[in-house]
Amino acid sequence: MNLADLQALERRCLMQTYRRAPVEFVRGEGALLWDSEGKQYLDFLAGISVCSVGHCNPAVVAAVREQAGRLMHVSNLFYSEPMVRLAERLSGSSLGGKVFLANSGTEANECAIKIARKKAHIRGVENPEIVSFERDFHGRTYGALAATPKLAENPALGPMLPGFRAVPFDHAGALREAVYENTAAVMIEPIQGESGIYPLSEETLLAARRACDETGALLIFDEIQTGVGRTGSLWAYEQTPVRPDLLTSAKALGGGLPIGACIAAGELGEVLEAGDHGSTFAGGAVVSAAALAVLELVDDPALLRRVRELGAGLRDSLLAIDGVVEVRGRGLMLGVGLSEGIDAAEVAAALLREGLIVNVPEPGTLRLLPPLTVDSAQVERAVALIAAALLSYAAA
Amino acid sequence: MSVEKLPPEQRPPASAADAAARLAKIVDAAERAAAGVIDEAEAQAQRQLDEAHKRADRVVAERLRELADELDPPGRSEPRGAHLRPVDPAPEDDGEAPPPRSASAGARLLATQMAVSGAGRAEIEDRLREGFAIDDTSELLDAILGPEE
Repeated sequence: MNLADLQALERRCLMQTYRRAPVEFVRGEGALLWDSEGKQYLDFLAGISVCSVGHCNPAVVAAVREQAGRLMHVSNLFYSEPMVRLAERLSGSSLGGKVFLANSGTEANECAIKIARKKAHIRGVENPEIVSFERDFHGRTYGALAATPKLAENPALGPMLPGFRAVPFDHAGALREAVYENTAAVMIEPIQGESGIYPLSEETLLAARRACDETGALLIFDEIQTGVGRTGSLWAYEQTPVRPDLLTSAKALGGGLPIGACIAAGELGEVLEAGDHGSTFAGGAVVSAAALAVLELVDDPALLRRVRELGAGLRDSLLAIDGVVEVRGRGLMLGVGLSEGIDAAEVAAALLREGLIVNVPEPGTLRLLPPLTVDSAQVERAVALIAAALLSYAAA
Repeated sequence: MSVEKLPPEQRPPASAADAAARLAKIVDAAERAAAGVIDEAEAQAQRQLDEAHKRADRVVAERLRELADELDPPGRSEPRGAHLRPVDPAPEDDGEAPPPRSASAGARLLATQMAVSGAGRAEIEDRLREGFAIDDTSELLDAILGPEE
């Protein structure tokens, strides 16, 4: 089936909820992808920060093959070892409390929202509220959607879940004023991902922690995009002056398979009880085995140091390019701000033609999320391609 | 028992050349056995060393996490201090609320968490200077990482 036929079939059979680039990928290895015509691409998006250990990482593939050949699924009515070992590893590497496994980031956030609301009810709050920042992205299921202000504005999807409010991004004063005794949680992306890579300032993070401590609200870090090594530490909170009460993870955790996790600190792992929450597929043996393989690769000080070093080098190289006005983010999670008047979508399309995959989360920004295993020659190649694309744009 | 009934390797040598060949075989076998023992001992020592490193890393990480928890206890269940009133956020007014959770506690936690995650002294120092405008970071870093050698 050629690309045109595939596109026609997709239009006929799939709900049209995505705008896809006209490329069919058929193979991946490390930071490289190949399309159906044999053309090679350098992938600086990694499936939106999912393939952080590279496409078809041999250790992950081996773990999946081994587990799939032995046992795939038993449901959460029974025990299976990979699930329990994964929870142990996630807890031990972060907040130390109990873990709820899910199938996606938005589901992990649903779990966090439930814990926050139930905890607020336990302390006598009748109408708990969850505070998030404008331009945050926490997911598309209704709870997470309600905490995602921009998407929650869509009247066609209303009515929204009540009990959510948004404050201006990175506005410590507004956050302090919005958090009060009815607040169940402050939900934060330490670095906003989908809106264009915008890190929260340390002042705002400290204000959020303080406001939560004063009111009994929980501080939730949505690390769905920032976690699992993306910023150069296993979790982004490790490079901030605060510790969250709940942490959610997904994307890179499964190495390409769908997974989510909500990790609690201390006693918060006891809040949800049997019947409060659940999932048929969550904690499946195959995806848990994959996630354990991913953590074995990423929870490595040498790899994480390399992510920080490569990220710093990439940032410096990008800033030296005409047309780049700023580079935001940390580690290998970078937003490249382009000069006013440059259409980032056109630049990204030109880069795709040249064999470099990036994306455009907002007008004027290129988002770079290469695999953490990318090598320095590939980073140099990406920089050269971006420089050439911006030069061509200026000349056109 | 007659010589013919003995297994070949136990029969007496028929000549000096045979004796030398058998001796060489014995020495070779002994050397291979010794090499195997040495390899196994080295592998075992390396495994024990790796385990010891991992245990030490875990102990250090756990201690640093405990320190971080002391600075910033997770999952605090009871509210403390006066409750704030809900108001609509004022987009331009940032206020100047003094942080009771002092910046120095935040800096200490940042440094601790970065140390746990494997960041080096220079990286932590840069972040402290950038995020907290601390000129002399040596006291804080010495407290967390130990004195600089």
